Amino acid sequence: MRTVSITEPFDHPALFYRDEQEYLAGTVPFVRDALDAGDPVAVAVPGPNLALIRDELGERAAEVHLLDMTRAGRNPGRIIPRVLRAFADSHPGRRARIIGEPIWAGRTEAEYPACVQHEALINLAFQGREATILCPYDTTRLDASVLADAYVTHPTVIESGTQADSSAYAPEALVARYNQPLSTPLGAVSMVYTAGTLPAVRQQATRWAADLGLGEHRLDDFELAVAELTTNSVVHAGGEGTLRIWAEDQHVICEVHDSGLLDDPLAGRRLPPREQRGGRGLLLVNVVADLVRVHSTPALGTTTHVYFHR
Amino acid sequence: MTGRSGLKVAGEISLPTHALWERALARVVQQDGRAYHLELSAVTFVDLAGATALAVAAQNLDGGRRLVLDRPPTSLSRLLELFWPDLPGIEVAPA
Repeated sequence: MRTVSITEPFDHPALFYRDEQEYLAGTVPFVRDALDAGDPVAVAVPGPNLALIRDELGERAAEVHLLDMTRAGRNPGRIIPRVLRAFADSHPGRRARIIGEPIWAGRTEAEYPACVQHEALINLAFQGREATILCPYDTTRLDASVLADAYVTHPTVIESGTQADSSAYAPEALVARYNQPLSTPLGAVSMVYTAGTLPAVRQQATRWAADLGLGEHRLDDFELAVAELTTNSVVHAGGEGTLRIWAEDQHVICEVHDSGLLDDPLAGRRLPPREQRGGRGLLLVNVVADLVRVHSTPALGTTTHVYFHR
Repeated sequence: MTGRSGLKVAGEISLPTHALWERALARVVQQDGRAYHLELSAVTFVDLAGATALAVAAQNLDGGRRLVLDRPPTSLSRLLELFWPDLPGIEVAPA
């Protein structure tokens, strides 16, 4: 069953497209109509698609906030706070209209669960807000399972130019379905930490990351993320935890495990006002990392995998 | 630190030293003068809670007063850039 309040001001359609022509037909009129209505417009899509829209808009492209999603939204966990909310909140009292394409054919198996959870959480993060977020899906290159998930994460879907309600819409269930166990390789180095060893463990983890090939310019961000996750365990999750590090393909991955339960689905995706003291910890991790995966259950506690491109 | 008011801090600002850092900042905001210098060249690391305490203290300064950071560690500069860019109460001293 699905119930939608007819007064819900937030609109979140998926746009299924087969080719460039359908892409432009589904996106450019959306942008032009919004500009004509005087609404603020942002387009955050992968570079080649961004170029298509920019070229088609011509001079009017200057009126649109354009972002390459493969950079701004590399880590799907930061798209809500740093791309969508950041844009919508900078135009208070007006209806933000955004094209957001977080899922493209090059997304990896490790990235996908975080991407689809992000799509589901948009509905929660924007509930009750005056905004429209249109999400294009490339039906030629994406798997059928990805398109099936798009029906679960979007209340409406536009296909062949026609918009219809999705009977499969169930974003909370999807977030739970992708709360999957994370695997750790046998060779990963490991350390247990408590309050007294936080600084030493953070420093050692950062040295290991350097040994695994993480570049100098990323080590500061890595150290900040490790500090935040390990301090969280000590302050909020039983006073101790275990940290592991390894490298996989192009990434250095740091795992932090503790006995806490992460039961706030929007943790790390809210923007606290700048005078507020707390509430930025997981947001910081989302902002600096290239990917964050989380598995959390009452029985097993919380495991977080933080990926940094090396 | 002659001729200007300030504080020199050394070591790292993280969970074991937060209480000390918060007390130091509470004293700093009560000082007179338009600019208060924090000499941070011997600080090796500042975590998010440490940066937050500084940013909140700076936002509580009144009447155009400001904190001047002298050679902050990269961790602190990065956190200020990410969450508190262009805070009027914080100035980074030219190197």
